[in-house]
Amino acid sequence: MSAIQTDSLSKTYVSSFGKKKVDALIDLSISIDEGTIFGLLGPNGAGKTTLIKLLLQIIFPTSGRAQILGSDVNNYKIKNRVGYLPENHKYPPYLSGGDVLKFFGKLSGIDGTTLDKRIDELLELVNLSKWKKTKVRAYSKGMMQRLGLAQALINDPDLIFLDEPTDGVDPIGRKEIRDILLELKSRSKTIFLNSHLLSEVEMITDRVGILNKGKLIREGTVEELTERKEEYKIIIDDQYDLSEKYSDSNINITHISNGEFNVKVDDIRTLNLLIDKIRSEGILIKEIKMQKSTLEDMFISLITGEENKGEEK
Amino acid sequence: MKKLWVIILYTLREAMARKVFIFFAAITFFVIIGLALIMSFIDTEMLTSNLLQNSGNQILSNAASMLQLAFVTPIAVLGLLLAIFAGANFIPIMLEKGNIDLLLSKPVSRTQLLLGKYFGVLLFVFINIFILVFGVWFIISIKFNQWNPGFLSVALVITFTFAVLYALIVLLNVTTKSSVLGMMVAYLIYLILSPVLGTYYERLRFGFENGIAKTVLDGLYYIIPQTSELMGPVLVAAAGGAALESYRPVIVSFLFIIFMLGFSIFLFNRKDF
Repeated sequence: MSAIQTDSLSKTYVSSFGKKKVDALIDLSISIDEGTIFGLLGPNGAGKTTLIKLLLQIIFPTSGRAQILGSDVNNYKIKNRVGYLPENHKYPPYLSGGDVLKFFGKLSGIDGTTLDKRIDELLELVNLSKWKKTKVRAYSKGMMQRLGLAQALINDPDLIFLDEPTDGVDPIGRKEIRDILLELKSRSKTIFLNSHLLSEVEMITDRVGILNKGKLIREGTVEELTERKEEYKIIIDDQYDLSEKYSDSNINITHISNGEFNVKVDDIRTLNLLIDKIRSEGILIKEIKMQKSTLEDMFISLITGEENKGEEK
Repeated sequence: MKKLWVIILYTLREAMARKVFIFFAAITFFVIIGLALIMSFIDTEMLTSNLLQNSGNQILSNAASMLQLAFVTPIAVLGLLLAIFAGANFIPIMLEKGNIDLLLSKPVSRTQLLLGKYFGVLLFVFINIFILVFGVWFIISIKFNQWNPGFLSVALVITFTFAVLYALIVLLNVTTKSSVLGMMVAYLIYLILSPVLGTYYERLRFGFENGIAKTVLDGLYYIIPQTSELMGPVLVAAAGGAALESYRPVIVSFLFIIFMLGFSIFLFNRKDF
């Protein structure tokens, strides 16, 4: 079942006097399964936050429809099952961390001892227990992010939207947040993650969407998106140089380092023929593996490619 | 309803945490201390002995009532000016990025959010005004040993007048997110437009010939909140325990609140944040 479903969702911002229009999101149709972690990537101004705000009805669509957890987004009561950590969240500075959670817990319909217990659990989870009674005005950026995460989880939501959750958090804190997200996933929670930290997204997401200028330009698993088709790494005994001997019009071999070669072939059949030739000469192949880019490489090449296309037009 | 109450209580808490509350409390404190000092110069025994002995109690009662009436207008003006100043930026702060996103992500309707803030600010203003009115009433009453609890209803009249102006401030806050504009318009209505239109309607209207000017002024008189009437005849009637001559200002003001809040809610429910 889909936790999030959008159908041709569009948002155009119009300036006060209607002189300037900005298409923040264009015809977005997407479906995100329950119990998965979905990462949404895109350069600044791509429309990532706009999408979350549309799904939470913080802003309203120009056209199209959206559902979360099987209910139309217009139904505000569905937010009982939703948590949200915005990018630049502010909490009343005169409240302590514990009071902030109490306030948002009460707004989420939790009360009494259930809420008190939940607050203690969450502060423990995000390592803020000893800061429970400290006013949030004294919190560092990283502590605010961790409090924000606790706030997003106060109602034990089934669907959690996180906009740059590790922004300002140190590496150890980031690892802790990642572990929390993976633990939530193990409990069948759906997580929608906006992040600039591609390595992080790569580590924890099941599926990734790439948004640019309001359009979803790519979607798939990290594996699918980072796969470099028909490109392999072959490691052999280091006394041979494959690049000189076997490169031809169908095979492009580049020497990387001692015994390591990058091989580009037209298809898998050509690769097999190459392997046959190498083996027939008694060369020992230690390893063959499909080459992969990092998510960052793929992201940069995709966005740069889109920009070049735009310029050509 | 429970969530509405949560918002009201946390608005009150927000108000308590702000310096403006301390400012309000300090002014109240100085007014009460000042009044107590003035009262200490009045010798009630001499007042009664020098006048008709048999009706001494009546004289004291009249003196207490006169003093209360003399103080009611300055208290009301001061209280209302302070209340507008103190209450004008609660909604703009709520509408700031990072605040409103979080609130709207919770299972609370936008109507509840706005009404919660509105009533929270009213409760804050009522508490402050009540302390001020209670202080004045208590000092005068204890001095003359004349207790007229009806005078305390003045706090309700001042809060109601504030509720009228604050409904307009809420509309301006929702449309412009500006606290300064809301404050300026409220002061403009309270200090200039309403008194001028009130004077026109009561004293000058009959001198006008029928025409566009008269229609426009009549229209403005009914559209713009009649705060000068609320703070004039209605307030004095409440302070003196007298019956109201006309309920028109109260009814018109109440309808104004309903319309302003209704329109604010309509806009707030359609606004992108």
